[in-house]
Amino acid sequence: MSERNESDRLQEESWIQRMIRRPEIGSFIVMIIIILALGLASEGKAFNALGLKNNIAIIAQLGIIAVGAALLMIAGEFDLSIGPMIAFAGMSMAIMLKWGLPFGLGEATPFTAFIITMCMTLGFGWLIGTIVVRSGLSSFIVTLAFWFFLRGLTEVCFRLINQNTNVSGLPDFKQESWFAEQMGGEVFGWLYDAWFWIGQKVAAGLEFTAGMTKDEKIDLINYLSFLNINRKMEQWVTGFDARLLWFIIIAGVAWYVLAKTQIGNWIYATGDNKESARANGVPVNRVKVGLFMFSAFCATIFAACQVFDTNSSDAAKGMFKELEAIAIAVVGGILMTGGFGSIVGVIFGAVTFGLVANAVFFIPWIDGAWFRVFVGTVLLAAVFANERIRKRITGGI
Amino acid sequence: MAPKSYMRVENVTKKFGPFTALNGVDLEVYPGEVHALLGDNGAGKSTLIKILSGVHQPTSGTIYMEEVERSFRSPRDASAAGIGTVYQDLAINQLMSVTRNFFMGRELTSTLGKLRIDEMDQIAHDEMLKIGIDFSDPSQAVGTMSGGQRQTLAIARAIYFGAKVLILDEPTSALGQKQQMEVLKTIKRVRARGDIAIIFITHNEIHSRLIADRYTFLALGQVIGQGTKAELEGGDIRRLMAGGAEIKDLEQELSKI
Repeated sequence: MSERNESDRLQEESWIQRMIRRPEIGSFIVMIIIILALGLASEGKAFNALGLKNNIAIIAQLGIIAVGAALLMIAGEFDLSIGPMIAFAGMSMAIMLKWGLPFGLGEATPFTAFIITMCMTLGFGWLIGTIVVRSGLSSFIVTLAFWFFLRGLTEVCFRLINQNTNVSGLPDFKQESWFAEQMGGEVFGWLYDAWFWIGQKVAAGLEFTAGMTKDEKIDLINYLSFLNINRKMEQWVTGFDARLLWFIIIAGVAWYVLAKTQIGNWIYATGDNKESARANGVPVNRVKVGLFMFSAFCATIFAACQVFDTNSSDAAKGMFKELEAIAIAVVGGILMTGGFGSIVGVIFGAVTFGLVANAVFFIPWIDGAWFRVFVGTVLLAAVFANERIRKRITGGI
Repeated sequence: MAPKSYMRVENVTKKFGPFTALNGVDLEVYPGEVHALLGDNGAGKSTLIKILSGVHQPTSGTIYMEEVERSFRSPRDASAAGIGTVYQDLAINQLMSVTRNFFMGRELTSTLGKLRIDEMDQIAHDEMLKIGIDFSDPSQAVGTMSGGQRQTLAIARAIYFGAKVLILDEPTSALGQKQQMEVLKTIKRVRARGDIAIIFITHNEIHSRLIADRYTFLALGQVIGQGTKAELEGGDIRRLMAGGAEIKDLEQELSKI
């Protein structure tokens, strides 16, 4: 054929053009801006040894539930019950650890408490998903109902069993239980050890004089904090929170499944147009129910990390977390209408949100409520950006 | 010479309660032929293809595939028997890539459900090239393709997954002139393979005359005319297309207003 072909109208692009057109680019740029701005405004404190640990704790925590929410949104559904699911799972584990297993099965270990709780939350996830696919009702309203149901149930259980809306002062299970250590303990200690080792070498070259002024001392301590060294010249931070490892595992598996496997193709197909997916033999209902269960799984991991970290639980845990998870997914480039998005974008979104949520601790003069103002602004901008991407892909329809 | 028919429909009737949608319809399709199914709105074309593709079950009548009696209880049954239906909405997802659409629900996988994406890209590219579209980038989203290209994708997909009888539900409607011609070319290329029977449902007399070998005209649920291209004259086609009315009569009716 000598004439111009239809497909010739799509011009060849260099890899830079391709990178710029990637859907994650928006969330990537926002993330870089926030990292730079926070670094400057906090005079670097946000990224010293302790700052990094604290920031990553929040990022990982939000990231875990955002990945669950994102996969579900790509399949075209919402889950507003994430927050109450966190509270329920936390309540269930804490109550079992304090009062023993149900039906007089004896003392609970961290592992048995976790497994029984996980069975219950997966059951709730299955129930929510089944109601949504069987009734054809909007998942917004079904999960809103479960928001109230689970919030109420959590508080009732707390009061009935513990005569209080929280459990606190549990023994520190991390000391003897390997499992509790994996949930609430520390990971990647070697990284901080290496950091400390390098810090010592650098500090050895510093000059300490007895006649330092106060300002000079503060500067020195600030400087040492970047070397992972405290005032006593000992290692300051020993590792990241264990939830970082869970975030890496969950995000890694989700990325692989979504981008590289058959189930990933089914998730995209389900969210894009479920009728045509069904006509091609995609088990649309099973995909959706499975993802509601995955969302409940992520909420339970979130809760387990919290319970074994703080050795306590509270009926108010997980407040607003469902909205934050959805917001992160949207900022990460997931379309509200489903069928499009990537886990890489969600990770960028989680980093952005985590840093901003924590910013108040590093920038003393800032009011913490600015966090919500920022979230609202970025969310709206992200929705517009996503809509543009959708129009570009679908040829403006 | 009498070639063997791929699919033969005998005396099919379909009633929805008191309403008779189809009344004793016969139809035969042969490999390497385009069988145009024409008729006005409400003539029963959609009901007939839904029976052939297993969505509805006939009230009475028989379907033979290569002279063996078959009954399709579901679209899956029909598709397993080699009937590929390309509906007007094409069952295509706009936000997904060409390859991901091509293999939607029937992905090629290795261990742990991993997609064999390179192989899938290659197959999608080759299958579409065979019937006329050369895609440089199979990871391109379908939303950026023209209507005619999407039609080609849906047809190539049906053929690759084993369609021997290809049912095309008004593939040229809702397309621009040039794209209509692209689709007709695609149909001709499929026909030239010689091993696939095509049922081409259309409103458009001109399109049917350009590519059809055999015709069946439906009106009010009944066959009002049937035959090969040689057997039917142009005037016949036009008259049958209008549900049996003469074009002169129509002109008269119009001029009275």
